[in-house]
Amino acid sequence: MTATILTVDDSPSLRMAIRIALTNAGYTVAEAGDGVEGLAQAAATRFDLIVTDLNMPNMDGLTMIRELRKQPAQAGVPIIFLTTESDAGMKAQAKAAGATGWLVKPFVPDQLVKIARKVLGR
Amino acid sequence: MTHPSSPSSIAWNADGELQALTFVMGTETFAIEAEFVHEILDLLPTTVVPGADPLVGHLINFRGRVIPLADLKPAFAMEAATDTSPSRIIVVELSIGDGNHYVGLRADAVDEVATIHVDTVEPPPQIGMRWPRDHVRGLVRRGDGIVVIPDIAILFERLATRAGRSVH
Amino acid sequence: MSAVDPVAIFRVEAGELLDQVEQDLLDLGHRLTDAALVDAVFRSLHTLKGSGAMFGFDALAAFTHHCETAFDRVRKGLAPATAELVAVILSAQDHMRALVDGDAPRADGDAILARLEAAIADGADLPVGAPVVAGGGGWRLSFALPVDAMANGTNPLMLLDELRELGPCTIVARTDTIPPLDDLTPTDCHIGWDVTFAGAVTREAIEDVFIFVMDDMEMTLAPLDAAADEVTPDVDLPPVTDVARADPVSVAAKAGESVRVPAERLDTLMDRVGELVIAQSRLSQLAGQDGGLALRSVSEEIERLAGELRDTMMVLRMVPVATLFGRFRRLVHDLARDTGKAIELVTEGETTEVDKTVVERLFDPLVHLIRNSCDHGLETADQRLAAGKPEAGMVRLSAHQAGGEVVITIRDDGRGIDRTRVRAKAEANGLIEPGAVLGDQELLQLIFAPGFSTAAQVTNLSGRGVGMDVVKRTIESLRGTIDVASIDGEGSTITLRIPLTLAIIEGLLVRVGEGRYVVPLASVEECLELSLEEDLRSRARSLITLRDQLVPFLRLRDLFATGTRPDPWQKIVVVSTGAERVGLVVDQIIGNHQTVIKAMSPLHRDVASFSGATIMGDGGVALILDIAQLVATGQSRDQSREERLRAAG
Repeated sequence: MTATILTVDDSPSLRMAIRIALTNAGYTVAEAGDGVEGLAQAAATRFDLIVTDLNMPNMDGLTMIRELRKQPAQAGVPIIFLTTESDAGMKAQAKAAGATGWLVKPFVPDQLVKIARKVLGR
Repeated sequence: MTHPSSPSSIAWNADGELQALTFVMGTETFAIEAEFVHEILDLLPTTVVPGADPLVGHLINFRGRVIPLADLKPAFAMEAATDTSPSRIIVVELSIGDGNHYVGLRADAVDEVATIHVDTVEPPPQIGMRWPRDHVRGLVRRGDGIVVIPDIAILFERLATRAGRSVH
Repeated sequence: MSAVDPVAIFRVEAGELLDQVEQDLLDLGHRLTDAALVDAVFRSLHTLKGSGAMFGFDALAAFTHHCETAFDRVRKGLAPATAELVAVILSAQDHMRALVDGDAPRADGDAILARLEAAIADGADLPVGAPVVAGGGGWRLSFALPVDAMANGTNPLMLLDELRELGPCTIVARTDTIPPLDDLTPTDCHIGWDVTFAGAVTREAIEDVFIFVMDDMEMTLAPLDAAADEVTPDVDLPPVTDVARADPVSVAAKAGESVRVPAERLDTLMDRVGELVIAQSRLSQLAGQDGGLALRSVSEEIERLAGELRDTMMVLRMVPVATLFGRFRRLVHDLARDTGKAIELVTEGETTEVDKTVVERLFDPLVHLIRNSCDHGLETADQRLAAGKPEAGMVRLSAHQAGGEVVITIRDDGRGIDRTRVRAKAEANGLIEPGAVLGDQELLQLIFAPGFSTAAQVTNLSGRGVGMDVVKRTIESLRGTIDVASIDGEGSTITLRIPLTLAIIEGLLVRVGEGRYVVPLASVEECLELSLEEDLRSRARSLITLRDQLVPFLRLRDLFATGTRPDPWQKIVVVSTGAERVGLVVDQIIGNHQTVIKAMSPLHRDVASFSGATIMGDGGVALILDIAQLVATGQSRDQSREERLRAAG
């Protein structure tokens, strides 16, 4: 069974890049454009991994992670957030909100795949 | 018992009470919300503002700020104060126009901070008042007489929006 | 999966990012110390680099990386933002566009990078040393995950798998920290592990496994060959070699060179200083009356300190006009584009400092004046060449301080103001009688009359419903003056003189009846005596003769309805607003007074004669006369107004 990954990002090009990288690596990918959409998607399907940006309109990544972790069904689901080197404080906040790990932007597709393998084990 | 001017109607607390400062002007006793009162000052030198409405005919130096000194007597059919040094000045902070402003109120004497209960307050009567009805928000019956709750917000707001027009 | 090419999407995004970079760089060129702009440029470059690398634009990513690094240095205070740096990055930004399009000559990029290197030469980029510690003899690792690690998506089994992949190792679980069953939450992680690596594994490789949990977990990692009880810290910092870290003091000092403070805090501070000055003058009064020598000397010391504090306070509100001038480069750039004229903007004296409020309020008038110069003043390139002038028109914006004023001039080398047309227009508009004899300055000043416009037709540039009369009024509201000079065929010059600060003025303190008033000293022309005899003689008139000129005058005692008798020796203070004069009759001139201006209350909005109030040394309040208003009153002798003032006083 292939793992299903939800990617939440407001940049279409980044979503596209993530989708291409992960599908090439054999994963199934779903997309959401902001935190609100992300929550809705996560409520409908149980994902094996969620990859989310932090700065997004409507609902930011931090809020979405907090909301997700409030739900018992989402316990243990790995959440990787995308951040920039300059967001040291953001990293701590996202960890506190319940994120599993992070990926520093900019990243090459291989890095994302590596991290997916790391947290999914497959 | 609905009140005509809701923006400046009285903000009773949950128990139907109001903390108010009562003070004397001429022959009348007035009450204003204690929460508006910033400070009570003794005699201060005042400066006349030529051309200003007699309601706010003076300025005082309130801790480095220049603030208007209001005399509510003309609004309640009393002779404006003639002495240059009122015995007491109640400094209130009010929302006027675009922001909060300090205004000094002349008083002949300052009584006390009293608790007024909603049951003791009546709206101003339709007839038989010596002063404009909308200058008053309510009348409080007290053992020995009546305490007036003036509508100072309306009085000052009118002055501020009048901008250049004279009411006299 | 969508058929849209992500590379195409990236190209669009990159274009937008570069537009933003260009905009920010243009702004930065005018405000080199603006940290927010530096940050913005850095972020855009950073994103561009990252996305570029992701979509296979390796050359773009590599090139952008250098620019990003340069801005990172500026951001961290290691290198200054200079005009040269901005210029280099601007050209680099063009190169990046070419790289996005895929047709950029490599030599161009190298040339730009060479310039870039020179631009941030002070303190070259030193690599951060990151020595690789090779644990040739193996490692002993001991770790326990954060309690909530599993709930937050970390699977310990996978970490153990990763560790096994690094090399041969033995893993032993520690279960002594597992709580009794009653207290156990199944999603909590209480097990710790001891891992022994026998072979050659790097510290980094081991730490990498724990990258996401390292900050929150317990971990010790020690080489096997070290003493068994030696525990190394969980994070081993590489030796510090970066210049920035080597000298944190200089970095801190640089960052501390300027502090942004909300203007309202300055205003509050100003109020407090005002109070202090007043309290101090009361103190010195008391000390002078009945104080001993000791009290008097303390009082004098405080007087000196309070004075210095006030002066310092004034300086705090001053900002260089560069912040103002910088905003006009783009304006002129756009005007040149819209008019098709070649226009060069030259600015001088940008370091001249003016009160912050003044700077803000000068913006609109200056926009109008510069538009006017570009639109009406400067000729087209053809006309200029025909007149033997350089093809590009020049607008020179300069500032300098003269006494308590800042003088700002807007000079163009255009055709000059057509006096014949000004006259014709003024006559047509009924501003002057046909054939009226006017001095040159009077004639030129007509352009500031309400509704006047010299444009033969209103162009889309100047026709914005704002006239030169509005400019003049704004300048006068700043207690400034505006003058115009023009030479046919050579250009025109507009000169603005503005007081350095609005918060404080030099005033002439006068007494009218029992009240004290402040006349702004800048508008005082002269002071004369008015004997009782002269006063009686002029009672019926409202004009006095001053050096063969009739000057209207106002008896402030009457205007303010003081109800007092005049002093036997009244004074006339002659004030002016540029061309118009009026005499103010007062009872006494008390003297000069440095005045901290306080705004009038909104409750006094209908009182027109005063522009503000001030607090005197003795704590009393004096009103500041609004000279423009009084001159207008004196000129028009508005009877109804005066009667109202009388009635109301």
